[in-house]
Amino acid sequence: MKKKNTLYAYLMSSPAMLVLTVLSVFPLLFILWYSLTDYYYLSTRPPQFVLFDNYIRLFRDRYFLQALGNTLRFTALAVLFEVTLGMMVALLVKSFRRGQEALRTVTLLPTLLPPVTVALVWQIMLSNNYGLINGLLGLFGLGPVSWLTDVNTAFYAILVIDIWQYTPFAFLLLYAAMQGIPQGQYEAAAIDGAGKWAQFRFVTLPNILHNVVMVTLLRIIDTFRLFDKVNILTKGGPANTTATITQYIYHNGVNMFKVGYASAASVVMTLIILILAAGYIRQNFRARERAARR
Amino acid sequence: MKKALSLLLALVMVGALASSALAEQPAKLVIAARGGSHVDVINAVKAQFEQENNCAIEVLGLENPDLKQKIALDSRNSAGAYDIVMLDDPWMPEVTEAGMLLNLTQQGYTDDPDFVPTSLALGKAPYGTGDTFALPFSGNVTLLFYNADVLASANAEVPDSWQGALDIAKAVNGKDGKVGYVIRGQQGNPIVGDFMPVLWAFGGDVFDADWNVTVDSQEARDALNLYIQLLENGANYEKNDIVSSVADGKAAMSLGWPSWYISGKASTAGYAKIPGKVNADSPENPAGMIGNWLMGVPKNTQHPELAVKLLTFLTSAETQRAAAPSGAVPTRTSVFTDEALSQEYPFYATLLAATEASRERPRTPLWGDIENVFGIELSNAISGIKSVDDALMDAKAAIEDIVK
Repeated sequence: MKKKNTLYAYLMSSPAMLVLTVLSVFPLLFILWYSLTDYYYLSTRPPQFVLFDNYIRLFRDRYFLQALGNTLRFTALAVLFEVTLGMMVALLVKSFRRGQEALRTVTLLPTLLPPVTVALVWQIMLSNNYGLINGLLGLFGLGPVSWLTDVNTAFYAILVIDIWQYTPFAFLLLYAAMQGIPQGQYEAAAIDGAGKWAQFRFVTLPNILHNVVMVTLLRIIDTFRLFDKVNILTKGGPANTTATITQYIYHNGVNMFKVGYASAASVVMTLIILILAAGYIRQNFRARERAARR
Repeated sequence: MKKALSLLLALVMVGALASSALAEQPAKLVIAARGGSHVDVINAVKAQFEQENNCAIEVLGLENPDLKQKIALDSRNSAGAYDIVMLDDPWMPEVTEAGMLLNLTQQGYTDDPDFVPTSLALGKAPYGTGDTFALPFSGNVTLLFYNADVLASANAEVPDSWQGALDIAKAVNGKDGKVGYVIRGQQGNPIVGDFMPVLWAFGGDVFDADWNVTVDSQEARDALNLYIQLLENGANYEKNDIVSSVADGKAAMSLGWPSWYISGKASTAGYAKIPGKVNADSPENPAGMIGNWLMGVPKNTQHPELAVKLLTFLTSAETQRAAAPSGAVPTRTSVFTDEALSQEYPFYATLLAATEASRERPRTPLWGDIENVFGIELSNAISGIKSVDDALMDAKAAIEDIVK
């Protein structure tokens, strides 16, 4: 009977496994293989096996290390602000007795826009010639500020744009999670004399902690791939202060056809994301195992 | 008997229909082109060629990076999807070294002396002296754009040297909120394209004749120091802001590609050849950067002869004359000097002079990588993160690392 069930389980999961194998496992294996070769797409000779040469070159390249540092810093700051602000907005919207639906819709609008559109709109607003933001500063006798070409502001300008666009994403998921908290818990906490902060700390936060971790992980993965905004707004500059790993991979792989080298950079990026996500994935698997045992 | 006869007749008719359908099936030529006005130009003239050669022409308009990727990916197929491809001229070393294009000289093509020599040279491999692999379809060369009113307000003439340009920038900058000179200092291709004419005017270059890296030469240091002084007496804008500021009279001068300012017969700013001198007493160097769109025939085309014929048609003087109203910049002397067209498009004379005195970007398949690191270090220098000397020495080291 058990054998029959196992066979049935394999049979039912086989389409998903097939899709996963074709779309994820094969490309990943190819990338791993290419990263060990000097594969140049336009070359007339077959790729040569170079072992870890690409990885060694990668970690000797100061521009890659700078892009890696920028990406890690950007991800840390963007995710921190997006999740924190998302939670604050969710708590605020949840506290409203009326208009929650309308606010939810309006708040979500930036996330619905394609990153390219967002970049172009902000490029116009941040223009140091006729931009709206410098226009407003001008009213107070300030500026103009070269937001996207000054080393002191370019990184933060892109950071603000990313936070503006993706805070609503964090808000939506956390707001949805808050809807599932039983009202009775708040009532019980209130009877026990818990104030707003205590209610948040001992009721809201424990109930949505799993979602906070999930939102954080999703934002880390997505922010790590930051590309469109940088490519349109700064091209990695000024002084490489906004260069990202994805942009580095794009330049080498797509512009210069250095498939082997770009694959090595992609493997490094994937490994970093896996390391960052490992805790969550392990915790998730354990939770599922515990649930299955029950 | 009757049945057999009617069956035979039916078979003959079907056979005849099928063979006539096959015989009359026109060949389909596919052009992978840069999107925008180039596609309009090809679509405007293609009907004549289709009629004369019983073929159909499909034009795919693609964005710059997409175009390069698609051409490269298709080049590895045994039967190519494209019969003609448009190529930005710096791609030529990459595509010819990879053997992607049909050798037009070997196909019997003889160079047409009507093409401006600097344009024709771009399609040859090795550059300038080798066989022809691509023909110049659309011309382009960077020019100095200026606002005549702003220059007049400073009692200044159009500068013919970089010291002259700096003097004007100093005189204009900050007066009534005006900007003296606008650089295009975005990292990567923009800043390299904006700085190279200054570097060339100073007698510097990225490589010497033996391919030694020379970006840290005294000429390059002087050029970058002047470029930074121009920024100190101006602003660093992206393309749209550059155009609007010069056109609106907020800024005095910038470098740029003609299509940014010139549309049809009108230009939103004055234009002149880029100064090729450091100061009034120094020798004149070619300083305008040429940037032609070329057309070639992929080696794996299914219609090599017809494709070469279409290529010569699309780059002919007749086509370039017909394309002029669509904003296409010619690559032929006879079109530049055509009396009727010159009256209609008065900037042709300046463009021809600038094209003849233009410089090409270094002809190496590694230019994309070199431009990338050079752009980063130039950006480091203008941002003040590194000194001019350090930035250029680091650029030299990075470029040497790429070419070794």
